[in-house]
Amino acid sequence: MKGYILRRLLSLIPVLFVVAVVVFLLMHITPGDPAAVILGPEASPDEIAELRENLGLNRPVTEQFVSWFGGVLQGDLGNSIFMKQPVLQAFFEHLGPTLSLAIMAQILAIVVAIPLGILAAKFRGSFLDQTFMGISLLGISIPSFLLGLFLILLVGVELKWLPVAGYKPLNDGLWNHIKYLILPAIALGSMQAALIARMTRSSMLDVLNANYIKTARSKGVKESFIVIKHTLRNAFIPILTIIGHTFGTLVAGAAVVETVFNIPGIGQLIINSVERRDFAVIQGSVLLIAVSYVLINLVIDLLYGVIDPRVRLGRK
Amino acid sequence: MKKKKKFGFMALVVLVVLSLVACSSEGGSEESDSNEKKELQVAYNAQPPTLDPLISTAVATRDVMRNVYETLLTLDENFEVTPSLAESYEQSKDGKTITFKLRKGIKFHNGDDMTADDVVASMTRWAETTSLGKGSFAGSTFSKIDEETVVLEMPVAQFTVLHMLADPGQAAVIAPKSTIDSATAEGLTEFIGTGPYKFVEWKSDQYVLLSKFEDYQSLDETASGLAGKKEAFIDDIYFQFVTDASTRLAGIQSGEYDIANAISFDNVEQLSTNTDVKNSIDHNGFNGIVFNKKAGLFQNVLARQAINTALNEEAILTAAFTSPDYYELEHGLMIKDQKEWYSEAGKDKYNLNDSEKAKAMLKEAGYNGEEIVILSTRDYEDHYNSAVVVQQQLESIGMKVKLDIYDWATVLQKRADETAYDIFVTGFPTEPIPNKYVFLDSSTEWPGWTNDPIIDDLLNKINTASSQDEAKQHFDALQEEFYEYLPMVKFGNKTTITTVRSNVEGMDFLQGIILWNVDKK
Repeated sequence: MKGYILRRLLSLIPVLFVVAVVVFLLMHITPGDPAAVILGPEASPDEIAELRENLGLNRPVTEQFVSWFGGVLQGDLGNSIFMKQPVLQAFFEHLGPTLSLAIMAQILAIVVAIPLGILAAKFRGSFLDQTFMGISLLGISIPSFLLGLFLILLVGVELKWLPVAGYKPLNDGLWNHIKYLILPAIALGSMQAALIARMTRSSMLDVLNANYIKTARSKGVKESFIVIKHTLRNAFIPILTIIGHTFGTLVAGAAVVETVFNIPGIGQLIINSVERRDFAVIQGSVLLIAVSYVLINLVIDLLYGVIDPRVRLGRK
Repeated sequence: MKKKKKFGFMALVVLVVLSLVACSSEGGSEESDSNEKKELQVAYNAQPPTLDPLISTAVATRDVMRNVYETLLTLDENFEVTPSLAESYEQSKDGKTITFKLRKGIKFHNGDDMTADDVVASMTRWAETTSLGKGSFAGSTFSKIDEETVVLEMPVAQFTVLHMLADPGQAAVIAPKSTIDSATAEGLTEFIGTGPYKFVEWKSDQYVLLSKFEDYQSLDETASGLAGKKEAFIDDIYFQFVTDASTRLAGIQSGEYDIANAISFDNVEQLSTNTDVKNSIDHNGFNGIVFNKKAGLFQNVLARQAINTALNEEAILTAAFTSPDYYELEHGLMIKDQKEWYSEAGKDKYNLNDSEKAKAMLKEAGYNGEEIVILSTRDYEDHYNSAVVVQQQLESIGMKVKLDIYDWATVLQKRADETAYDIFVTGFPTEPIPNKYVFLDSSTEWPGWTNDPIIDDLLNKINTASSQDEAKQHFDALQEEFYEYLPMVKFGNKTTITTVRSNVEGMDFLQGIILWNVDKK
């Protein structure tokens, strides 16, 4: 088990290197100059050249890469040109809103989707099943930004129930924190909810027809117990895989929703950094996201063992 | 064992609930505190690249920091120079020396008194840092005579010197000497000024928070443009950076924001039926196309004149700003409010829309069907919409035109490369003096590379004129030459729309929103 985790962690190094090289090159091939952005549209070429020199942007690309990647290996991702702070600090400051949003969206998705999926499976072919699956098809089809704009117009502008945009950290009060996240979480989580609901339904259907369920029924076990304890638990592995994968998509998809709802998360950080060519932030953020993807997948793999003892590592 | 597990779980639940309640009650008390404060939420469309007004020409820096910093001289609503931190100023007969008497009792946000040393340090940094300072104040010195007097000595007299000192773009702001001494090559690290609001916090990608400066010493004169009485009625101003136009729109409709700038022209009608908000339509400079005069077809002045003859400015402006309510067909580089400068010169060469003549001129210029590249961006919809119409109009006179559309950062870089384009679309603020237009002066080497000895000579004559009448005569000649040489084609004047909630009063506009004297009922 330990060896397995270690091997997975070691596999991070080549991933990290490839991502670093690709991102670095992409950023430096892309036209656009942070010095010109800082100085504004009326700056003279002399001023731009002077600032480029001060920012170290005139050094050869290989020299810039070596000095940056050398820092990365020592845990230093460099400094943001615009925010005048270390990339790591900027990243973690923006991570909070994205995680809050993604977790909230995930919770909403799970809370809505799993019961719907169970009910749809239990009453397969019924009106209920068809309605739920119809709604879930809609959920998959509507782009999050469009749903977000609808929600803003309806709930924010017309009904004035919830704020239309912005973000308040948790220490501004729990309700303040949550109320700014509800609409974006619905916009972001709807597709996940739809996917999870469909996966729950099909996975449950597979298990509901298994012999051990029939045996349980014939023994007179309560139906609710059969559904929750015997069926759901055994059907949960593919559901968990979907949840794991969709959490990654949630974080990535948050970029669009963050823009619509003006939430200062990682997506906004990267988009803004690309717009102003804040190279260090883009490179550092992409690297950190790559690392977290690998780590999330590792955690999911380990969780399989918790749910299903048959796939536990090291068992003969 | 099972009981123990259950107890542990219950304890965990209780702990989580308690901590959440604690969090929310803490927040609740904070909120009730903030309810007593008057807060102004401003949804602003761009984040400043820096808060140091001397470093950047970006309008976001100018608009946010004008609340924090002040200058010795400033501009009123007619772009005329009036004293601000200077009590008075006197220009010597030869024009080479200006003596500033400083106002007494002016305090910085850190509680220190403003002294002549602070003014000398600030003005020297401005002259050495900004392109205007470096270009026009080389060899000039600012020195202290006594605690309340500072003198500027210049090697040559400059007629436009007062306007340059009062210019709101990269303004000559006064900051404590200590913050200037601690500034790095990338700018100030502390933002302490004398303005009605003090800088509190910049939360990157979220907001800049300014709060009322209790010790602010206001002038008594009636407020006009950037001059006169400034009162801080609001306790905290949040400049929320909301880049998405539809989010700014929704936020101002729902009351989330008190003021939202750069509202899309398409939404004005929708907002005008809403009694909760009102629209402020303000002059905001002009857009145009700048020719690459260093390489390609438009090195030839006849080709530039052909384009100017072909263009239908009205169609371009309608595409960009939707209705004549939001633009003005106007040829002049200076606006009518700038009474001392406004000139009719060149009017006969504006908005010609004469395809046949343009075709003939183009032929004469030796155009042989080569592809013309127009550089533009979708980051500013008005730039893009103009570019599309210009493309169509040029195609209609038989030109082969390609649009190269990039994000703004790429446009900024590409336009500095003479091999990358023939024309780029951009906007300019209305400047207080003609000499500030970057597309006129050859010495700035600004993209497009204007190089006209006649324009340079006229700029110099304006700068060394002995009276406004003389300067105006030279400016008339300059505007005439502008339409002859055509470093760029001006489309016309544009506006910007700022929407405010109906309970917000007192907002003004001069090269950007003015928030002092704003109150919320």
